[in-house]
Amino acid sequence: MNSKTNLFGISNVRDLTKAAVVSALYIVITMVFAALSFGPIQFRFSEGLNNLAVFNKRYVVAITLGCFISNMMSSLGPLDMVVGTGETLIALLTINIVTRFIKSLPLKLAASVLIGTFYMFIVAAEIAYLGNSAFWPTFWGAYLTTAIGEFVTMTIGAVLVYIISLRYDLNK
Amino acid sequence: MSNFLFGRYLPGKSWVHQMSPQSKLMLSFYFVIVIFFANNVWTYASLSVLILIVVVMSGVSIGYFLKGIRPLIWLIIFTVLLQILFSSGGHVYWHFGPFSVSDTSLINGGYIFVRFLLIIMISTVLTLTTTPLAIADGVQTVLKPLKKVHFPVDTLALMLSIALRFVPTLMDEMETILNAQRSRGVDFGSGSLKHRIQAAVPLLVPLFTGAINHAENLSTAMEARGFTDSEHRSKYRVYRWQRKDTISWVAFLLVGVLVLFIRNN
Repeated sequence: MNSKTNLFGISNVRDLTKAAVVSALYIVITMVFAALSFGPIQFRFSEGLNNLAVFNKRYVVAITLGCFISNMMSSLGPLDMVVGTGETLIALLTINIVTRFIKSLPLKLAASVLIGTFYMFIVAAEIAYLGNSAFWPTFWGAYLTTAIGEFVTMTIGAVLVYIISLRYDLNK
Repeated sequence: MSNFLFGRYLPGKSWVHQMSPQSKLMLSFYFVIVIFFANNVWTYASLSVLILIVVVMSGVSIGYFLKGIRPLIWLIIFTVLLQILFSSGGHVYWHFGPFSVSDTSLINGGYIFVRFLLIIMISTVLTLTTTPLAIADGVQTVLKPLKKVHFPVDTLALMLSIALRFVPTLMDEMETILNAQRSRGVDFGSGSLKHRIQAAVPLLVPLFTGAINHAENLSTAMEARGFTDSEHRSKYRVYRWQRKDTISWVAFLLVGVLVLFIRNN
């Protein structure tokens, strides 16, 4: 591929196809658990894949894209496609950058879970913005419920990603 | 290939079905922005009339829209309730600590409910009348101006279509692995949380490595066929801007201007 097509960690065809199938994986897992994947108390198990951002920056693009496509199916469509996807992108970038300074893999994954949970305030703000004059109560209520869901799914995801990383080198 | 239907697309030949995906995509974004400018009965009423016309022109039965509300029902109840309990002003009917219910708060709650309905309706129209692949094409067209700042729009679009292509394949494989593990006695549906996570390992590890194998094979195949860059790809379906798009845009823009005029400042 020429230099023009170089995108965050994707510099050849192999990177591109790997990132694309991980996006597909995110979509598949979101769809399988569709009933739980949207709304204020959401257990979107595909969010567990966010932990992949620890290993390689190509997964930042991959999961953001997967999240974007999954949000096309969200009932809040356009709003989720912009805000929800933006939240994922910012969270993944932070995870990728922060965990570079941590050596141990379990600690990296723990940091990734905490960062992912923290950033749910963006989604909470999206929900709170919908209910305009009761902004703060809606915000804190939504932050609590979305953060719990994200914490649970990302923790489960971290365990699974750790097990996968023992059998498959996720860095390459 | 699996017969699993991705997304919520319903085939049809209505006005909305025939519009180009990029303009449907942009119109729904625009409509959501306009919704946030509405703040009185007349603005919400005019937006509701517009969306009802769109629903009729999409030829999709109202039942599908009700289905779109179901997953969000708790979010809606939660937001509307907080809105009613926390907004102030007007004639107070009930009062307890920081909570109060007044006529203003009830009206505000009603507005928030309508706001949710409007957003759900427009996104349902978009996803019911446009295939995910067409939406992906629309996204590519909408992002095209970013090429000027050397953002690799084409690479992203190629990734989008490869991802969509592999969704049914991975869905099939997941089914196969589930059945294979079930036949070995793995129980996915019951047990403690720890047990369920343990059960997910023999499902997700092969699914993940299988997906990566697909990626390796596909990249080898692409390179063998001389794939060099994603910029000069041709398309099987080309969506062109049509008169229907222009007319719809004019209608939406007029309603947008109307909302700006009749809203409370």
